[in-house]
Amino acid sequence: MWNVTIKGLLAHKLRLFLTGIAIVLGVTFVSGTFVLTDTLHNTFTSLFGNVYQSVDFQVRGAPAFAGNTGANAARKPVPQSLAATVGRVPGVAFAHGVVQGYAQFVAPDGKAVSTGGAPTLGVSFDPNTRLSSLRIVRGTAPTTAHQVAMDEATAQKYHFHLGQSVEVLLSGPTERFTICAFVRFGTADNLAGATLAAFSLPTAQRVLGEVGQYNAIDVLTQPGADKATVQRAIAAVLPRGVQVVTGQTVANQATSAINQALGFFSTALLVFAFIALFVGAFTIFNTFSIIVGQRTRELALLRIVGASRRQVFRAVLGEAFLLGLAASLTGLGLGVLTALGLRALLKGFGISLPSGPLVFAPRTVIVSLLVGVGVTVVSAVSPARRAVRIPPVAAIAEVQAEVGVSSRRRVTVGTVVAAVGVVALAVGLSKPAIQFVGVGAVAIFVGVAMLAPLVARPLSSALGRPLAAAFGISGRLGRENSMRSPRRTAQTASALMVGLAVVSTMTVFFSSVSKSATASVDDTIDGNFIITSSSNGAGAFSNSVGATAARIPGVSAVNTVYTGQFQAEGGVQGLTAIATRNLAQTVILRVESGSGAPALASGDLLVDDTTARNNHLSVGSTIPVKFAQTGDTTMRVGGIFKTNSLLGSYLVGDGFFLAHFDNPLPVAVVLQTTTGSGAAAKAAVEAGLRAYPNLKIQTRAEFIKTQQQQVNQLLGLVLVLLLLAILIALIGIVNTLLLSVFERTHEIGLLRAVGMVRRQVRAMIRAESVIIAVFGAIVGIVVGTLLGVAFAHSLAQQGISDIGVPVGLLVLFLVIAGFLGLGAAWWPARRAARLDVLAAIASD
Amino acid sequence: MTRTDPSPAGTPAASPTMAARAVDLVKTYGKGDATVRALDGVNVAFEPGRFTAVMGPSGSGKSTLMHCMAGLDTATSGRTYVGELEIGQLDDNALTQLRRDRVGFVFQSFNLVPTLTAEENITLPADLAGKPVDRAWFDYLVDALHIRDRLSHRPTELSGGQQQRTACARALIGRPQLIFADEPTGNLDSNSSAEVLGFLKESVRKLGQSVVMVTHDPRGAAFADRVVFLADGKVVDELLAPTPDTVLEHMRQFGA
Repeated sequence: MWNVTIKGLLAHKLRLFLTGIAIVLGVTFVSGTFVLTDTLHNTFTSLFGNVYQSVDFQVRGAPAFAGNTGANAARKPVPQSLAATVGRVPGVAFAHGVVQGYAQFVAPDGKAVSTGGAPTLGVSFDPNTRLSSLRIVRGTAPTTAHQVAMDEATAQKYHFHLGQSVEVLLSGPTERFTICAFVRFGTADNLAGATLAAFSLPTAQRVLGEVGQYNAIDVLTQPGADKATVQRAIAAVLPRGVQVVTGQTVANQATSAINQALGFFSTALLVFAFIALFVGAFTIFNTFSIIVGQRTRELALLRIVGASRRQVFRAVLGEAFLLGLAASLTGLGLGVLTALGLRALLKGFGISLPSGPLVFAPRTVIVSLLVGVGVTVVSAVSPARRAVRIPPVAAIAEVQAEVGVSSRRRVTVGTVVAAVGVVALAVGLSKPAIQFVGVGAVAIFVGVAMLAPLVARPLSSALGRPLAAAFGISGRLGRENSMRSPRRTAQTASALMVGLAVVSTMTVFFSSVSKSATASVDDTIDGNFIITSSSNGAGAFSNSVGATAARIPGVSAVNTVYTGQFQAEGGVQGLTAIATRNLAQTVILRVESGSGAPALASGDLLVDDTTARNNHLSVGSTIPVKFAQTGDTTMRVGGIFKTNSLLGSYLVGDGFFLAHFDNPLPVAVVLQTTTGSGAAAKAAVEAGLRAYPNLKIQTRAEFIKTQQQQVNQLLGLVLVLLLLAILIALIGIVNTLLLSVFERTHEIGLLRAVGMVRRQVRAMIRAESVIIAVFGAIVGIVVGTLLGVAFAHSLAQQGISDIGVPVGLLVLFLVIAGFLGLGAAWWPARRAARLDVLAAIASD
Repeated sequence: MTRTDPSPAGTPAASPTMAARAVDLVKTYGKGDATVRALDGVNVAFEPGRFTAVMGPSGSGKSTLMHCMAGLDTATSGRTYVGELEIGQLDDNALTQLRRDRVGFVFQSFNLVPTLTAEENITLPADLAGKPVDRAWFDYLVDALHIRDRLSHRPTELSGGQQQRTACARALIGRPQLIFADEPTGNLDSNSSAEVLGFLKESVRKLGQSVVMVTHDPRGAAFADRVVFLADGKVVDELLAPTPDTVLEHMRQFGA
């Protein structure tokens, strides 16, 4: 029987190739993601290992919040005097302070060096080469108050040279420095897009805002000293709230912080890989169903000559297994190439990553093969069971090939599966539990695919009518063909249905986010101008911007907005601070109970209604909170405001905030002007803030547009990642059409014999393809839109207040699907038209 | 590859009135030692307004002859004409148009497109050409073939005889110069066969239609005006005004 399986595979190379391609592409995506993220993981691990290998210990503030103790934990700085204390501990060779903060270069053209979201780091330069993570490539270490060392990548990008004067934006006023050195961070050839400015230690303390204090103290032990003993001795001299950890711990924490981000990135990519494979599963299922139908005679003959049901089952599954294996191995190989491609793609979206050797982990091989072979075999189980039900007599008598599950049973099962999906989805969205959401979505898709044959016939008929009217007999025959087997039409369309459902879900979701963002701005900001950092996401700029802006003629009110973290209601929470002066002129607060501005001015906490409801808070409630710098305290809830994504859940006045945070950087400044928001007013604001080239100055309308653009960019990335799933769905249509053409050889031959020209044959196949594609698109877009609305609705508490269904865009998808259907028909139509008429009618 | 010695029978007169004719027609399959000469220099002409049967044992080349003369297959050498049109020079589109407009076909099986109703199958050539259907002619045909009450049915809902009669109607709807019938009754019982063959004969008598039928059934051949016998790719004999007995007798001579 094994022989039959292999012969069966080899006899249909084309069919094999097309079916395999769906798996190859999916597995390529999976393995490519693994290779890419493993490679990045390895790069960062070795980078941090490198950097911290020479540091024996680090003395630093203990994590302020129990909920966050890693590399990104909020920590209090340590007093400068502690370095001397630690330095005197027996066994310690050196103890040097480290300072870190915000510093952004200004390029020669006067614009801030932008990083596309990566941090702009300012650090202290440690002259002790054993302690420093920075390596000087050229030049000498910064020693004076006017020198700065620049990272090599920035220097090369902007053609800076040693001795050149450069402006640096700081949390305080902008300053000018002389470039004294180009440096590298450890062995990395780039900083994943970040920039780095290194100053002498005292200069760093001054400009990075830690006068008299260090962020941490790096410690080197004397050769031969027992490290455990030294660590205990250091711990003994430390004040409360300061800890000593090994360099390895610091490296591990830095690595794990990166890995967390990488893990998110890898999960996101894998989700798209699995969507592609899921779509591929429909394609495989459909192909195997048709193949079993076409091989009815052959399989029945096997039964006649003595093959058992089990053997037939194994023969079909064996074919799937071999196909899955071959395709997975190919996909695995292509994955390595794809990893390089993905890196390039991400770079195209402004996410540049440091280079390193490609990592090909055993896990990549195992998961890729398991997933690829698994999906193929599982998809073939149902067709294999159908093959088993073929009676031996089918070999000699003309028996109707459709021996599948009765349609009534399929409708019942489909309804149940879809219903289970809806319930799982509802549970998942309300909890929220992402696994339930995933299972629910998968079940809904499977259920809808099972039910789709019910509407395939009427829908194909309706869709085909205009085609029949426009293209005469070819259109009519194409329509008839698509209606001939509603089940096959639905199965073929199901892959595209799933693909477009996901696309529509994402589109509806993101357009809801975009619409909500607009609403948030409308709800919150009353000022004419909004000033933010020009580097997206890294949003920080000097805290002197507000005061400078206030002096601009025509500016009537200024509100500087800060954000920070504090501990409240059992976790680390985001905190927003707005100025209480001129509040009414710049910011809209929709207070639902209690008071707004007066409560903020008196140091009370404002919470949004969602948080208040979830935590049973009301005006007058007192809750314990903790700040990194000032420690535990309690706050009174002075008011409750309407949930708004721009303001966040917790709001305080600027006076209170500045008293509890050291040297915070503003994230936004809102300006109200008496001169409106026209070009002249904008020019005046820009002129007044010329000293800060890292600012993005936008009118309210521009700010809204930027917010929408960011959402659209993300949607663009998601849609690009979904293209693969769409491509696989199209391959499924090509495959089915080819099989259909093969199946209808005789019929096409007859049509040709009685006078159908090739052009008409092609038009007929194309009409069928377009009907199938548009059918799949309609069902997919309807299901996807419902899912998108459900997702967006479930996140109402997270600030998605508005549901947006972009009808125009969805209609565009439908039109595109029609054209894709046209494209998918190209090859099958060509084959049908090229059919040898004589062979077609003479076959049999 | 030209053969000059004319076959003993069916010598084509270079008459412009012939419905179709073949001159020195050769058709080979395969290459080298494996070459099979399906047609080995056939010269034959089919007169208009006559019912001609082509007979011969299996492998005699009778189907190949029909395929080449109908523009379904291309000959290796020699010439074929439908009317005065030499079809060997035509490209695919022209051949297709020829089949659609000037030739009618009735095959042994799979004559009808399964997704179309009987009526749609009959009007298919006209629909493909984008031409209006002659309704009076259509009505005459469906009545003559007794299929009016089956017009809205699909092929799977028709009996074998009904299917073949529908195919006959389709072959005639465009008033072709010539109808090629390839074993049209091969799958039918004797009653249905007689009905189909009777209609073909009548279309020749009453309407002046030209019909060429490939068959191996002597009783079927007896419906024709003339029988042409093929063996080993050559025309070997012919018979006028055949009866089942005379046909059988002739066939015995070639060991069929």
